[in-house]
Amino acid sequence: MTALVLNGLVNGIIVGGLYALLGLSLSLLYGVLRVVNFAHGELVIGGSFVAYMLFRALGLPPLYSLPVAAVSFFAAGWCAYYLLIPRLSRSDDPETMSFLLMYGLSIALAATLLLLFGADSRSIDYSFNPISVAIGPVNVSTARVVALAVTIVITAAMGWFLFRTLPGKALRAATMNREATQIIGINVVRLSALAFALAFAIAGMTGVLIALVFPAFSPFSGGEYSIIGFIVIVLGGLGNPVGALIAGVFYGVAEQMATVFLPQALAQIVGFALLVGTILVRPTGLFGFRALR
Amino acid sequence: MTKPPSPLALADREHGDRIYRRLAVLLGAAVSIYFVSVPLLGLNVAFHFYMMLWVTMATAFNITSGFSGYMPFGYVAFYGVGAFTTAVLVKKAGFAMFVALPVAGLAGVLLSLLFAPTLRLSGIYFAIVSFALAGICRLTIANLPEEITGGSFGLQLGSRAQPIFAFYTMMAVMLAALLGVLWLSRSRLGKALRAVRDDADAADMMGVNVGWVRLQGWMLAAFFPALCGGVEAWYTNVVDTETAFNTLITAKTVIYAVAGGLGTVTGPVVGAIAMSWLDELIWRRFPLINLLLLGVAVMLLVLFLPRGLVGTILRARPQWRRYIP
Amino acid sequence: MTTVLEVRGLTKRFGGLTALEDVSLAAGGGKVVGIVGVNGAGKTTLMNCLCGIYRPDGGTIRIDGHDTTGHAPHQIAHRGVGRTFQVPRVFGKMSLIDNLLVPVLSRDQPDAQLLAQAEAMLEQMRLIHLRHNFAEELSGGQQKLLEMGRMLMPEPRLVMLDEPFAGVHPQLCSFMIERIAAMAAAGRTVLLISHDLTSIYRLSDWLIAMNQGRIIAEGGVEDIRGNRDVIEAYLGG
Repeated sequence: MTALVLNGLVNGIIVGGLYALLGLSLSLLYGVLRVVNFAHGELVIGGSFVAYMLFRALGLPPLYSLPVAAVSFFAAGWCAYYLLIPRLSRSDDPETMSFLLMYGLSIALAATLLLLFGADSRSIDYSFNPISVAIGPVNVSTARVVALAVTIVITAAMGWFLFRTLPGKALRAATMNREATQIIGINVVRLSALAFALAFAIAGMTGVLIALVFPAFSPFSGGEYSIIGFIVIVLGGLGNPVGALIAGVFYGVAEQMATVFLPQALAQIVGFALLVGTILVRPTGLFGFRALR
Repeated sequence: MTKPPSPLALADREHGDRIYRRLAVLLGAAVSIYFVSVPLLGLNVAFHFYMMLWVTMATAFNITSGFSGYMPFGYVAFYGVGAFTTAVLVKKAGFAMFVALPVAGLAGVLLSLLFAPTLRLSGIYFAIVSFALAGICRLTIANLPEEITGGSFGLQLGSRAQPIFAFYTMMAVMLAALLGVLWLSRSRLGKALRAVRDDADAADMMGVNVGWVRLQGWMLAAFFPALCGGVEAWYTNVVDTETAFNTLITAKTVIYAVAGGLGTVTGPVVGAIAMSWLDELIWRRFPLINLLLLGVAVMLLVLFLPRGLVGTILRARPQWRRYIP
Repeated sequence: MTTVLEVRGLTKRFGGLTALEDVSLAAGGGKVVGIVGVNGAGKTTLMNCLCGIYRPDGGTIRIDGHDTTGHAPHQIAHRGVGRTFQVPRVFGKMSLIDNLLVPVLSRDQPDAQLLAQAEAMLEQMRLIHLRHNFAEELSGGQQKLLEMGRMLMPEPRLVMLDEPFAGVHPQLCSFMIERIAAMAAAGRTVLLISHDLTSIYRLSDWLIAMNQGRIIAEGGVEDIRGNRDVIEAYLGG
């Protein structure tokens, strides 16, 4: 039993790390742009498919797909920002319109992946050498450990960026007060584009890591990752990147532990119920801002 | 303090009302005549059935979004619950369809009462919670014992479907929804709802019982999708969690309503009809990229026609607002 | 004089900040009570407590003899209380007529009668030609007039105006002063917050000066004008 629990814990942290990244990128988008990205899950899966494609076509090990995904998604995010967001902010009801826009994007992305890859589940048959590593009494696949390591690197890099560099601090300032940031002379538009592009880049990398950690993915997997993303940022407090990180790990552990003790179907409901419960009972999440009408 | 208004204002108002009533009657008559004749003229019954379904869904959705200011991304929950209630009552409890359907509608209303605490949430939180609650509904029903809800295979209602009866019932439901929204748009409840939507605290200070008004709008908006789910179950004779709780149902409802324009009666009708036709044409010519085009269409709509067809016209010609239902 | 409003020892805190401290006042009988004070003195907080948006931490509020402390805003509104806001809060996506109808939706009167009243009110406020426009399409000054009209629809006994002249051009200002004087003449009790000292001196029968959540002086216009504490509070120190 303890072995199972420990297993759950270790995997929970690994999975939680991924969820933390999910939350981080989603939180970045919301914080700076007040855009709730309904298409986030599909973006992430897009990253998984990029890794898959590169592996199948060029035999590229998934780790090398990381920079490819990062760069290409960053560029895509930058372009997408300028294409989509300026129009949105001029509309009557930017909040609702941004949901709908991203809703549309999620459908379009899922459909594109469907067209390109078909509906079947895919996986990347890459194995590290050795195939698994022993952490205490628990055996974890090396791929997962590598994924965790990468997660930590990305998180640290983002942390350094947000707290130690000028653009990063400006970004955090913009999250707290957009108008004020504009008034002191910072180009908020460029900053927002940066946030958008960064969020996309992280999402893409998260996708590659998901391909390493989870057994399979399909164009339809996007939806569940979007939900997980929402749960994480709500728990952590909307617009709070640090909160999102902590909440991500917490949720990952909770989810994996739930699957140890509960049947699969119930475990899924737990996720949703946690989301609803948090919003109703403590809408500001563990660390966040205003939620009521 | 209050002296009577000039006779000009009164005459003008009566004139406006006359035009409004005529347009409303025209709309109702056109819609009724067209759909009544579909089976009689041998036109595509299935296509028109679903068109009526989307008109009803978009119209009912307008109550909660256009009039009340909410975006329930889990709107399909009411539809699914209506479908399953109908199926269970007919198949397992032996109810007649005409009894099962209103009960299904009631089930939708009861569900809305259960979800009522979420009405105090703002914009995105409400949307996300709504989405999650629909997920919970789906998973709960999918995991109920097979004897009740058919597990992963779903339920079959009867030995064979009765499409024509279902078709005319759908028409009746659609007309009821349209009448309901027509009434709402002119009624005191409708005004109270919109005031709460625009500024809930100010409405409160003007004497409007915000919570109660919101609840009424919510219950009304939940009744019709539940009926739709029930009638569609009758039409196809089969119900299962994947189709009854499919997120695409919410997606299409939202898109069709927004395409036409929220806040007017004609908006969602126009949107649903136009988009149904578009969907049909595209599906016939490009069946594979249908979904992609839907997604792109939504994005283009949001970027270039955010107020929808009717909404954009009314923005350009605000004086028409009191004439268009 | 019949007392319409009676406030005793009203206190309101927000976290560590005391916005209102032991505020007491009485008003009634068709008089205009002006409230002056620098920004942050607690004037708007007072109004918000009176109409139910804030729940006071201490003290009582009585309207027409009924205790309304901590009651919900819509209940207080039904007691015959109306108000306007510093920054106009009109129902943006509703027509002017509909805006005016909102406070009287629960009345027993038939629709036609209410519509006629709304039209008459719009005529009085000189907005009748815009009656079908959405409220968000109006200018700031027009919105303030709309708010005033909306407030008067249910014939309130107690009327609270928060900075009605703020950002309004002089011509409109004098029209508003006319309207406010008419309200008092019709027997309504008026609570008026304003920084426009000229207007408030003209209209008020009684003045209350506030500073840092407390009432520092009250009296007739001449008393307050020369009051040293009030002058000091306004000019600093």
